[in-house]
Amino acid sequence: MSAPADSRQRILDSIRGASVDLAVKDRLDQASAYAALPRAYVRRGALPRQACVELMMTRLREYDAEVVECAPAQLPATIAAQLAAGGKRSVVAPAGLPAEWLVAGIDWKIDHDLPVAEIEAAEGVVTACFCAVAESGTIVLHHSATEGRRVISLLPDWHLCILHSSQVVETLPEYFDRCVKPPALATYVSGPSATADIEMTRIKGVHGPRFLNVILVRDEG
Amino acid sequence: MNPTAEARPVLDPLFAPPFPQAALPVLRNPQLRKNVAHAIDVIQAKRAKLVAEKTDWQELRTAASAIRMHVLENLGAYLEQFEARCTAAGGVVHWAADAAEARRIILDLLRQENASEVIKIKTMTSAEIQLNPALEEAGISPFETDLAEIILQLGEEEPSHIVVPALHVNRSQVREIFARRMGLKNLSDNPKDLTNAARTFLRQKFLTIPTAISGANFLIAETGSVGVVESEGNGRMCLTLPRAMITLAGIEKILPRFQDLEVMLQVLARSATGERMNPYTSLWTGVTPGDGPQRFHVVLLDNGRSSILAKPKQRQTLKCIRCAACMNACPVYRQTGGHAYGSVYPGPIGAILTPQLMHMKHAQSLPFASSLCGACYEVCPVKINIPEVLLELRAQVVDQERKQTGRISDPMYLGLRIANFFFASAGRFHFAQRMGRIGLGFFTGKDGWIHSLPSVGGKWTQTRDLRGLPQQSFHEWWAARGKETK
Repeated sequence: MSAPADSRQRILDSIRGASVDLAVKDRLDQASAYAALPRAYVRRGALPRQACVELMMTRLREYDAEVVECAPAQLPATIAAQLAAGGKRSVVAPAGLPAEWLVAGIDWKIDHDLPVAEIEAAEGVVTACFCAVAESGTIVLHHSATEGRRVISLLPDWHLCILHSSQVVETLPEYFDRCVKPPALATYVSGPSATADIEMTRIKGVHGPRFLNVILVRDEG
Repeated sequence: MNPTAEARPVLDPLFAPPFPQAALPVLRNPQLRKNVAHAIDVIQAKRAKLVAEKTDWQELRTAASAIRMHVLENLGAYLEQFEARCTAAGGVVHWAADAAEARRIILDLLRQENASEVIKIKTMTSAEIQLNPALEEAGISPFETDLAEIILQLGEEEPSHIVVPALHVNRSQVREIFARRMGLKNLSDNPKDLTNAARTFLRQKFLTIPTAISGANFLIAETGSVGVVESEGNGRMCLTLPRAMITLAGIEKILPRFQDLEVMLQVLARSATGERMNPYTSLWTGVTPGDGPQRFHVVLLDNGRSSILAKPKQRQTLKCIRCAACMNACPVYRQTGGHAYGSVYPGPIGAILTPQLMHMKHAQSLPFASSLCGACYEVCPVKINIPEVLLELRAQVVDQERKQTGRISDPMYLGLRIANFFFASAGRFHFAQRMGRIGLGFFTGKDGWIHSLPSVGGKWTQTRDLRGLPQQSFHEWWAARGKETK
């Protein structure tokens, strides 16, 4: 440890000394104090399933993401069509991407620790996702084997994300309810990279992928 | 016009001039005022729309406020938990009592990495400890990667806002800076072209510089994870591509559990930029083999924070999640911009945070840089009662001054003691009213207004008229009315 241990002690002592007026409260079980925190906000959305999925698509389109829908059986064909429409040839895929998604005619770069230069040179990337939050149009990546390392959904300029309708929740708290345990890595993507730093004018595409494409697979009802 | 033509504003509270003096250059610069007002109007309108659509906004604020206060009340335990979990996940946790120690720790770590260059994600905490000048002095070049921070770094400008730090610079000024510093003579002032220029300028840096420095929006005690909220993707680049990563975070940035993000993320983006969610939020935990930096350090910074914790009324200052809603809502900030506050933390939150971080030894004009209108409290997503803290700090400033000047020689003190004497009894008060009516009668015109007063009173009548005292007080009228009806 490079920091002198006494700074740690000094800061902690200072914090504990500062909380003298809280000492009694402090000794009150911290966990039950936490459990008693007010949480009267909306946990579960009220929209019917169909409307919730529609809302997700609306939000994505508001972000200028391109969204297409398909039935589960059509997914490989839809992936192929999207790649063809985008004119993509050299495409990165996470190591765990289902084999049937690796459609023919594409120069797939499977990410078994691909060097950065090779990822940077690719024209696009195809990944799955953990879930999506309709209210804010957020795609959640937990970087599992089907979602890939963080770098592969970052460097290529074109990201095709496969989202199943059963993965769409309405509110942010509903996403947290779906997490059995907290993820070690997570990225929440709400539209393509953007900035408003110059005169508050929203400009799409600074450093992250400039093009976000989503295939919504209708796998429920 | 070159924005740097004016003398560069001082954002070090040790040397910054008092607020009324520091505000003058902006008040005299119509271009600057226009830039600030435009940016603020845009954010305010977006925020208002998105807050209005949340039916549970007040419940979210209540929860966010309670979570943050709970953290402050249990800060020691949560910090130790964070340290243990982060360490278990492969991170190294350092503790810095003050800015100098934080700079020293970071410089040591960079030397271990043999770093001559470092890429940075926007962090106000690094500006607070004045890290960039220290890095340059040590021969390490820092590269800011947030678009606004690049504008400031290349233009040798100072930040004037904590979320959009370059909001005082307009497109033609950005064009001028980029054209000059990136050697792009034919650059247009279209924001899209300017953004593209920044993308190209930074791409090579992201791909080649192996060391990064970030701040943190949240430290999660339960998991030892760190969260960064951003828009551009420069953050993701810095968090993903380098071999080594150093995160500098104030000790108050803790959240108890991962799930608490369900509250904080909902209030933060809406309050900060008027979005339902910011484009990118990243969360990482120590070191993940094969993904991202393989050496990870967190520097926990105190720098005056634990002393704020010691004061019950002022403690709430540390609930702040740096969304900047208070400065966007503030009528004073709207006129003066951020530089007048003489600190990297401007606006209402800066007015209470800066003097406290300075142990009330500097920046003492800041608690007075407010009309106490309460707009900041109303928009604050974690319910910091900024006017209450402002008043508390004002009282402390006055107490300090009185100790220095002595009570008797302080006309304000004497005046208020005398007022206290008269206000304390009805008889004395009515007597004073009668005397006032007689005394002011000499100055009251036929129209019932006082246009000019002598001596100290003239300070008021110089710029405005004063209504003369009425012939009858309410009390007298009421008593007379009672007699008539009987």
